Amino acid sequence: MAEQPVDVEPGGQNVAGETPAAEPEAVTDDTTVHDEDVELERTIGLTGGLAIGIGTMIGAGIFVFPGLAADNAGLAATLSFAIGGLIALLVALPTSELATAMPRSGGGYYFISRGMGTGYGAIVGLGLWLGLVFASAFYLVGLGHYASAVFAELGVGLPFSPVIGIGLLFGVALTALSIGGTENTAKLQNVVVGILLVVLTAFLSYGVLDALGVFGRSSAPETFFSRGYFPVLSTAALVFTSYLGFAQVATVAGEIKQPGRNLPLAMVGSVLVVTVFYVVTIFVATSAFGADTLGQFGETAMVEVARDLLGLPGAIAILCAGLLATFSSANASILSASRAVYALSRDALLPRKASEVNLRYGTPHVALLAAGGPILVLVATGQVELLAEVASFLHLVMYGLICVALIVLRRRDPEWYSPSYRVPGYPVVPGVGALASFGLIAFMQLRSIGIGILVMILSYLWYRYYAGDVILKGDI
Amino acid sequence: MTDRPSILVPIRVLEGESVPEGVPELLAHAHVVLLGYHVIPEQTAPGQAQMQFEERANDRIDEYEEIFEDAGATVERRLVFTHDGQRTLDRMTTEHDCLAVLVPNATGEIEDVLVAIRGAVGVDRLARVVAGVFGPMGVTVTLYHVADEAETDQDVQTLLDGATQRLTDLGMDAASIETRIEREQDALDAIVDSAEAYDAVVMGESDPSLVTFVFGMPAAQVADRFLGPVLVVQREPAPESEE
Repeated sequence: MAEQPVDVEPGGQNVAGETPAAEPEAVTDDTTVHDEDVELERTIGLTGGLAIGIGTMIGAGIFVFPGLAADNAGLAATLSFAIGGLIALLVALPTSELATAMPRSGGGYYFISRGMGTGYGAIVGLGLWLGLVFASAFYLVGLGHYASAVFAELGVGLPFSPVIGIGLLFGVALTALSIGGTENTAKLQNVVVGILLVVLTAFLSYGVLDALGVFGRSSAPETFFSRGYFPVLSTAALVFTSYLGFAQVATVAGEIKQPGRNLPLAMVGSVLVVTVFYVVTIFVATSAFGADTLGQFGETAMVEVARDLLGLPGAIAILCAGLLATFSSANASILSASRAVYALSRDALLPRKASEVNLRYGTPHVALLAAGGPILVLVATGQVELLAEVASFLHLVMYGLICVALIVLRRRDPEWYSPSYRVPGYPVVPGVGALASFGLIAFMQLRSIGIGILVMILSYLWYRYYAGDVILKGDI
Repeated sequence: MTDRPSILVPIRVLEGESVPEGVPELLAHAHVVLLGYHVIPEQTAPGQAQMQFEERANDRIDEYEEIFEDAGATVERRLVFTHDGQRTLDRMTTEHDCLAVLVPNATGEIEDVLVAIRGAVGVDRLARVVAGVFGPMGVTVTLYHVADEAETDQDVQTLLDGATQRLTDLGMDAASIETRIEREQDALDAIVDSAEAYDAVVMGESDPSLVTFVFGMPAAQVADRFLGPVLVVQREPAPESEE
């Protein structure tokens, strides 16, 4: 991919003869302005942005991973989560800068396609879509585990494991709801995130006091690196799925009010909040049981931790919270995936048809189905760790390239590039961010890496076949 | 040219709303800020709806713009895709310095206009709207106040006289201005009941914002029961200076 000048309008056409949609003329605090007095209202505030970020992330890290992570890395899983958080932060900062310079829908895909060209853009964009599909499937399987745990709690014995069935059921329900529902779900999302944070803060505060021996119980003492050093990093790669949410904020960058202020705050803020929660959660969980026992509990380990600390009411509270959290994560990811499809279709990398809005509900049914359909296939596999890692892989590739795109843009310094937020510590922060993102991939299972690379190759081939002539670098 | 008051005319352009009968004539002497807007669900990116609907929406707005211009108004137009119609209306009102927002309902020929006055606050803007829109039309304007128990007839008369004075200052014929006082009735009911005899209603913005007024209960009541056009005069924007 040769370097193209950055001041061109997107141009060229795909196989179907479609051209990228025209870029807007200006971006203000309240709107995106197109020609002939057409405006797109920005309606998501800081709270909404934080809720998207935190709501997407918190489901996985707290409610699905503790058991798996402790099984892999022992008490040092705490460190794995901290490493994940640090990498996320290193990427969130450059992403913030790019997002304030280009507050448009599509997030990482948009930055990379505009900064580095269509080829990279296509790999990242299709990867983002599929990455979100993998992530949604992962959340849905987690949801299935929690719902099954509810059955177990109620004493309903089922002759088969309902995990996958429930995951599929919710996958179908969520997709249908997104297509047919026109209620304001954003407010609901804010409330759900609020409830989760309150419940978790109360639970974790008690847990920390208990772990420190305030209540006079003995907690399981353990060596920190009980599984050695390497698993710390491989676990970090696995649990990185719980840090994917901040990029979802960038996906709706085109709808955020006062993007220059709210985007960085929402992205960096949500990463910091969830990192603290994750680290404390793992600390409490491993203190209560010890890594071995915790690992045996699998996906719903937190329910057992709550039962140990607070008895049945605690278990029920965490069960409900887990259902809510995984549900909201899955929902947010499906919507983001649909936004990614829209961004690609707008730029003629996917057929224009894919972002079509139906007249009855005003919702993008094709894009939502393009998210919901593959999700069901993946849920059917029921492979929690694999789904999580592939999702992480595809996101990490994007994160790494976001950092590279930032460096590229800063060095070329095109006229249109004027972010209102500038990342501190340039070029070290984006440089380390890129290296860490790509580096973390190396610690994944070979299977996940293989699938990830396959997705990238297919994405690139699709671009060569379908949209080889489309030029996206350039103006805002 | 007299100082044309800016009036926001919001139209849900893709949901079959159009410019109702009589409205272009009503606003013939105003500066119309024609807002075509389309509210989309959160699952949809505004740009996505824009890509698909912009052309159709703009065609309609072209049409409406022409209708208003033919009637004699000056027109400024906007097309907005939004998740939040109320926010868009509020923003438009501020950005374009609109004195009033029209709740577009059909009407016949305008002869009698009811102007509901709540109190001394905001009378100036109210007067500018009335004088600007109706002054050149030669219609009868009735200044109307629903008094509460604490107000004496004298208080109310002072209020209405002040408003009348303001209107004549702005060039209206004193003979075309009448006053009327109502007592012992809920203000809103009183306005709706009295409005039936009139062709259009002008009233102040109810708190907390225009939003409650255009979409909330009071507007629903006045506009639904009155079935005619209502001009909702906006409060003075707090810090910003006006032209």
